Amino acid sequence: MDGKNANPTILNASDLPTRRQVQRKRVTSPLTSGLVPAYAQDPFVGSRDTEFSNSDESEDDSVLEPIDEQEIYDQKENKSVLLSHRSDLIATISDPEHPLTLGELAVVNLQHIKVTDDPSAIISNVLVELTPTINHCSLATVIGLGVRVRLEQALPPRFRLDVRIREGTHATGEQVNKQLNDKERVASALENETLMGVVGKMLETCR
Amino acid sequence: MRLQKVTSLPPQAERVWQVSIHPTLPLVATASSDKTARVISMQTYNSLSIIEGGHKRSIRSVAWKPGLTGESVLCTGSFDATIGIWRRYEHDLDASNSQGGDEEEEEWRFALVLDGHESEVKSVAWSAGGNFLATCSRDKTVWIWEEIDEDNFETLEVMQEHTQDVKCVTWHPEEVLLASSSYDNTIRLYREGSEDWVCCSLLEGHLATVWTVEFEKPASPGYREEWGSRLVSSSDDLSVKVWTRVSRSGSTAEARKAPPSILRGESIEENWIETSTLPRVHTRAIYKVSWSSKSGRIVSCGGDGRIVVYEEVSAPDTEMVENDERKPPKTEWRVVAEIEGAHSVFEVNCVQWSKRWDKDAKGENDEVIVSCGDDGVVSVWELASS
Repeated sequence: MDGKNANPTILNASDLPTRRQVQRKRVTSPLTSGLVPAYAQDPFVGSRDTEFSNSDESEDDSVLEPIDEQEIYDQKENKSVLLSHRSDLIATISDPEHPLTLGELAVVNLQHIKVTDDPSAIISNVLVELTPTINHCSLATVIGLGVRVRLEQALPPRFRLDVRIREGTHATGEQVNKQLNDKERVASALENETLMGVVGKMLETCR
Repeated sequence: MRLQKVTSLPPQAERVWQVSIHPTLPLVATASSDKTARVISMQTYNSLSIIEGGHKRSIRSVAWKPGLTGESVLCTGSFDATIGIWRRYEHDLDASNSQGGDEEEEEWRFALVLDGHESEVKSVAWSAGGNFLATCSRDKTVWIWEEIDEDNFETLEVMQEHTQDVKCVTWHPEEVLLASSSYDNTIRLYREGSEDWVCCSLLEGHLATVWTVEFEKPASPGYREEWGSRLVSSSDDLSVKVWTRVSRSGSTAEARKAPPSILRGESIEENWIETSTLPRVHTRAIYKVSWSSKSGRIVSCGGDGRIVVYEEVSAPDTEMVENDERKPPKTEWRVVAEIEGAHSVFEVNCVQWSKRWDKDAKGENDEVIVSCGDDGVVSVWELASS
């Protein structure tokens, strides 16, 4: 197959960066603690004023953590009901043409994930740069879409996602980037059953 | 000034892509990912009807046919590549006698489906008189349809001038002139030539997808007879630009100097130039701009969740340049109001100026802004002096 890399470099799973078993540092943000439960419990709360005044001081530690790069990359153990949906992350997504994960293939790398989660801002940003296994990989767009879908499902709606092909790693990187970050095209792709079938298979290994 | 929320409607289950204001009646229609279009009263802000069952995928765009009395006609454009035409009688709902039938659920009748586009329809627009319907799609084409009899539409032209996805179509308020904007970063204008519709102008200057274009209305305070309606555009490059027509073939010295077109009987080319770039406020893609015919203000919204209102700073006199050839003035705009998080943490997909119809309306010239977002909410805003 044209876009297939028969001999990709594979990283050993035990060498991949992870934070499982590692003590997490918790950062408290009254603003984000107000935002997350307000949205998650009551989607009818639309006004900014309501959300920002709703900063109750409960000790629900599931909502006190800002999101960081490691969490985007890797799995996180979190039993909280509120946030369990974001504990599957992008390193464990399967490659559509290899029996390996995007982390093992070094398509996603921790150092190429940038999270700007400023608790004083209304919206936060996540930038993920992907490194295709070969520079004419025909599936770059599908892989990017899989990463996007995963993050859209997992992250609270205050996050704006930018999924890009790392500069210089793909022949048509700019075209792929434009497509991956066009809201209409992504929305339409999500309604395409064939495409979502492929993405669904890629995401099976996330659970 | 500041933007103050008048009200928010109860959210729909999914993203609302667009709001469209009825040209004469106190109604707004919405287009949503949940495959429905809804009609909301601009007097009471109650939902009046839900149009569903016509499309298999998201409704992306909705437009009221202008120039009708006693009946409303809505056009819906969907990601399922089709266009729907819907009709409803408006017995009690006209501008003068509007208290009666406002709340009652009126039946929308599905009239017909227009197909032909190969992929998602992104925008639909009726010409000012309602004679023509323009549609555009990811298939790179712009279609012009004419309603030759009731519910009988003919395809007048299929134009593939853009090299990519066409995002938006809009008509000039007076002339038979159509504008389209695209993922290929350009804006194109089209006119009816002697035999067919042709692209008469290419506007380049944006550096990324041009999400939307809209013409200035002649009633707008900034409208200048000598230049005609200007065009406003917004883009993924985070800019909002205003364009002015410099020349039209046969109408100015510049056009007369241009070599005549051999292929066509007459040249219908036009030259438009960028005359303003509005102050940069947005930090993510600007999805929609709307130009008020009452105040002349422009409002924009985008992926950063902001709504921004701009006002034109009075323009300098038209410059006189050599050969008595005049150039339109470059004008400055300033931000008069902005709000962050207009739809809480969500993206704002559309903003549109509307006449104010509710109980607090202060006269004929009072206006509000209607917005919609990924939260499924439709909100109404007023500009309050701070």
